[in-house]
Amino acid sequence: MSTAMNFGSKSFKPRPPDKGAFPLDHFGECSAFKERFMECLRDSGYESSACRQRAMAYLECRMERQGIPGPLGQLMANEPLEKLGFKDLIDEKSEAKPEK
Amino acid sequence: VVPGETALAFYKAKNPTDKPIIGISTYNVIPFEAGQYFNKIQCFCFEEQRLNPQEEVDMPVFFYIDPEFAEDPKMAKVNLITLSYTFFEAKEGQTLPLPGYQ
Repeated sequence: MSTAMNFGSKSFKPRPPDKGAFPLDHFGECSAFKERFMECLRDSGYESSACRQRAMAYLECRMERQGIPGPLGQLMANEPLEKLGFKDLIDEKSEAKPEK
Repeated sequence: VVPGETALAFYKAKNPTDKPIIGISTYNVIPFEAGQYFNKIQCFCFEEQRLNPQEEVDMPVFFYIDPEFAEDPKMAKVNLITLSYTFFEAKEGQTLPLPGYQ
């Protein structure tokens, strides 16, 4: 049984996200990071690749902040950034450190 | 967006009423065939979200396009994939028709 809305053989099957839902950032705790990311996107002509550093910063903000206390807890569960597709950016960061 | 690279996108939602609303959203991908390559790592969807009166919030989606997308000849002409969300007001006892999702 499927809830196909057309007469084609396939119906669209929504899939849940791998890591679950983001709780809402009701207090806008990470809005500044979001704004910086959006600024980068506008400046780069909406090239996602150009703004990965700032996307990573936004997600780091989420992981650090407590959102609404209670079962929602953090705005984003702590996950090593390498696992979220930012491995190359992390490696760059750690390479830069010895020089400072 | 480069297939295989994680990407972040933002939507914005506002509750223009003077009562809190509890909503739940579902998504759609166009073109239909690109949907199988669209992978959400984290988003605001599928769970009830509460918006207070007049509240406006940013709704992030963290995703990637499966690198196999670039190998699929049917996708060769696809330059634009559109992701859209529809917010429903959650009513007690109402469940969304999501086959296979528990």
